[in-house]
Amino acid sequence: MSDLQAISLAILQGVSELFPVSSLGHTILVPALLHWSVNRRDPTFLAFVVVLHLGTAIALVVFYRREWVALVRALVRSIMRGRLSDERDERIAWLLVVGSIPVGILGVYLESPVRNLLGSAAYASIFLMINALIMFVGEFFRKRQHEDRGKRYKRLEAMKWIEGVAVGLAQSLALLPGISRSGASIVAGLAVDLDHEDAARYSFLLATPVIGAAALIELPRLWEGGTHVIALQALYGGILAGIAAYLSVAFLTKYFQRNDLRPFGWYCLVFGALCLWLSYKGVIS
Amino acid sequence: MKYVALVIAIVCFVIAICYALGVIGWFADPAHKHHVSHFVLFAVLGILALVWMRFAGERATP
Repeated sequence: MSDLQAISLAILQGVSELFPVSSLGHTILVPALLHWSVNRRDPTFLAFVVVLHLGTAIALVVFYRREWVALVRALVRSIMRGRLSDERDERIAWLLVVGSIPVGILGVYLESPVRNLLGSAAYASIFLMINALIMFVGEFFRKRQHEDRGKRYKRLEAMKWIEGVAVGLAQSLALLPGISRSGASIVAGLAVDLDHEDAARYSFLLATPVIGAAALIELPRLWEGGTHVIALQALYGGILAGIAAYLSVAFLTKYFQRNDLRPFGWYCLVFGALCLWLSYKGVIS
Repeated sequence: MKYVALVIAIVCFVIAICYALGVIGWFADPAHKHHVSHFVLFAVLGILALVWMRFAGERATP
């Protein structure tokens, strides 16, 4: 992998991990479109990807640092007390814990087989279009419930436990290359009556432990035989991915105060259709 | 509920140790002997079961 490819992949990963457009889908489709000879099963490439994820997770922790400090304190307080209270931070902290369980279990058991089975450009293109449909359907029902029928939005801390698990479960759809983690969890958040701002905030908070833990678990790969040669690329790749992720989350938190998912849906639909056509023509594989 | 949580915690820790030592490899990549991600998953689930046990225990004695 050349330096230019490493820089491009790092920025692509940092941006597409948080924008609801599927980072996994893009890291399959973009190298295929540009005819980069990237072997996705090569240990050096896997190690590189691990560091990009770590950079993204650190960026999320830095962006939500005050919130994370409050959430961890609330979590520890409730454990020490041995009882759950109705305090806002405590409720959100435990919602994040229960929401992370499904994706943790499914991720450990299904990630590798799903990636091996569906890791081609054609599948990624199809799932990218399905990702678009998920966002359009989510927006359609949100509009019907809240704008046409006047149903009020729910605050994040008012979410029920089962709803927290459901949003976490939706996040697991991102195991399919082309389905966006943030897109699926924001749509699930909208389905349980959160507004865009709270759904996005819950999605980004929920992503942090999952991305961070997945990266930390895979970190020993960096020291596996021969992979140390990409240490420099991984280092600046991780930093670039982190900067891109920080800027993305800063933009998206402002964006979702007034806007919805539809522009991302149109992008996924058009890009997915284009890649599927190119795949059918044999231009990409 | 307290004892159910305790049993779940013990089962999770035993499975976690078995994955770590490579005694079991259920649905794990056969290329690796020690399944770190499976170990971490069951260790975390075990800790959460212990937290559940603590919450359940407190509720029983107000």
